[in-house]
Amino acid sequence: MRAFFILLRKELRSFFLSPLAFVLLALFVFLNGWLFSTLVEAMRSAVSSRSLIYNLFDSGWFWMGYFILFPLITMRLFAEEKKLGTLEGLFTAPVRTAEVVLAKYFATVILYVVLLLPVFGFFALFERVTGTGAAFHPGAFWGSALILLLIGLFNIAIGTFASAVTSNQLIAAMITFVGVMLHYFLGFLHQFLTTPGSIWTSTLTYFSSTEHMHTFSDGLIDTRPIVYYLSLSALLLAFTQHILDYRKWRA
Amino acid sequence: MIHVSDLTKRYAGRTAVDAISFDVGRGEIVGFLGPNGAGKSTTLRILTCFLSATEGSATVAGFDIFKKSIEVRRRVGYMPENVPLYTDMRVSEYLRFRAQIKGLGWRESRRAVDEAMDICALSEVQRKLIGTLSKGYRQRVGLADALVNKPDLLILDEPTNGLDPNQIRQVRDLIRQLGERHTILISTHILHEVEMTCGRVIIIDRGVIKASDTPQNLVRRLRAAGTVNLEVQGEPDAVLAELEKLPGITSATHHDTRQGWAAIEIRTDANIDVREEIFELAVKKQWHLRELSRRQASLEDAFVDLTNRAAAPPSES
Repeated sequence: MRAFFILLRKELRSFFLSPLAFVLLALFVFLNGWLFSTLVEAMRSAVSSRSLIYNLFDSGWFWMGYFILFPLITMRLFAEEKKLGTLEGLFTAPVRTAEVVLAKYFATVILYVVLLLPVFGFFALFERVTGTGAAFHPGAFWGSALILLLIGLFNIAIGTFASAVTSNQLIAAMITFVGVMLHYFLGFLHQFLTTPGSIWTSTLTYFSSTEHMHTFSDGLIDTRPIVYYLSLSALLLAFTQHILDYRKWRA
Repeated sequence: MIHVSDLTKRYAGRTAVDAISFDVGRGEIVGFLGPNGAGKSTTLRILTCFLSATEGSATVAGFDIFKKSIEVRRRVGYMPENVPLYTDMRVSEYLRFRAQIKGLGWRESRRAVDEAMDICALSEVQRKLIGTLSKGYRQRVGLADALVNKPDLLILDEPTNGLDPNQIRQVRDLIRQLGERHTILISTHILHEVEMTCGRVIIIDRGVIKASDTPQNLVRRLRAAGTVNLEVQGEPDAVLAELEKLPGITSATHHDTRQGWAAIEIRTDANIDVREEIFELAVKKQWHLRELSRRQASLEDAFVDLTNRAAAPPSES
């Protein structure tokens, strides 16, 4: 556990002492700020049955910027250390592979949360500035925050895994992007492949991040996605640990 | 300190280390010597728990390297080949991180880092980014990293690789100094380094241990022929004919003649000194003699003799 916190600190330091975190933060705030103001503008001119939060997270524009985030924040985790050779120093120190994986993973999760905070800041700010108390209900606010955290945990686990597979950061980034997008589109598959109401439709909607987002940003906390994302993340992290230990045995 | 028995590492279609066994006692400085691709780095990586062996077993400081890997790693300071470092960290910051990850506490680590920087003469660059340091300094950062938690055993993989002669001397002196407190296993292919610092040499080639002895004994045991050079004034052919009659001489060759002086090289059987006989012969024949010298076999000869791989297929490291 001690090693975990030392490693976590080191990872966080390398995120926030390099321009990476700040460039991403600027980009993400700009994208979503622009999207936010457009939406507010649109909702002023037309009646919407949905809340501001629902509309923002329902927008394709949001998801686009969102998915570019993951390759960028995870690609260097292990790939860089493999390239530099520092993995050798790391794993010949008295640390467990699991501690290294978890430290890198949670450092990235913290970075992710920091990147998302401004978006939720917009909503908080909106009520203050406009004085319209009931632009959305707290359930929508906290629900969407929770599901975004869960989807993030899962996607960062994909990125962590991809970064451990290769020593090339670009390849790690591409695997992550493809993985993240594939999962996302899996959620749309039922619209094309199956007839509504069939067993396939209901099965496929279980995987749909957008469906999860809809439920949660309506303020409904469904436990199924929570279990789904947490267990998949744990599985991917376990794979990551084994991939890293596999170097020992590789013939 | 280290006990290795029948350690084998096989990669697909290639045996990098083939059932090697050796021991290193507490307080020894042992040189691990071999041509490139002999299996040195692989062995060291197994001993530091970075790789696993295919077969065999090894203990470091009494702990099994497979079953008690964390305990082993706590007691070993390892400097990998080419010294990989985080280039975006400052020297003191990096060492601090390494000290803490090796289990030193907050205060302890500060003291340990100061001490390690002192030993490795890094204090003046402690605020610099590692990425901006020269190779020599990086090497010393690697060394400071290896010894920061005062491990029982230091394993250094080619610590003087890529340094200039002055830096090599500094690192060598440093290693000799460290030998007073630590057990050290150094891998290298620079023979001079080993002769100067190590009490014992293990020569490995193509994954097999060829010899394990003190440098002096290796040279003494060496079967390679000694060489005597001499320059005499006289008819070369006649001189050669006389010389070849002497006992213990395997061959005598005439190189060239300069202003009447014939330069001759004589190869003798192992460890026989024929200089006295040659001198007496010269007196008897009334040759003028202006050089008579014997080149002693060096560790280099031993190395070449033991690892001569002219017929071996090339293999990567």
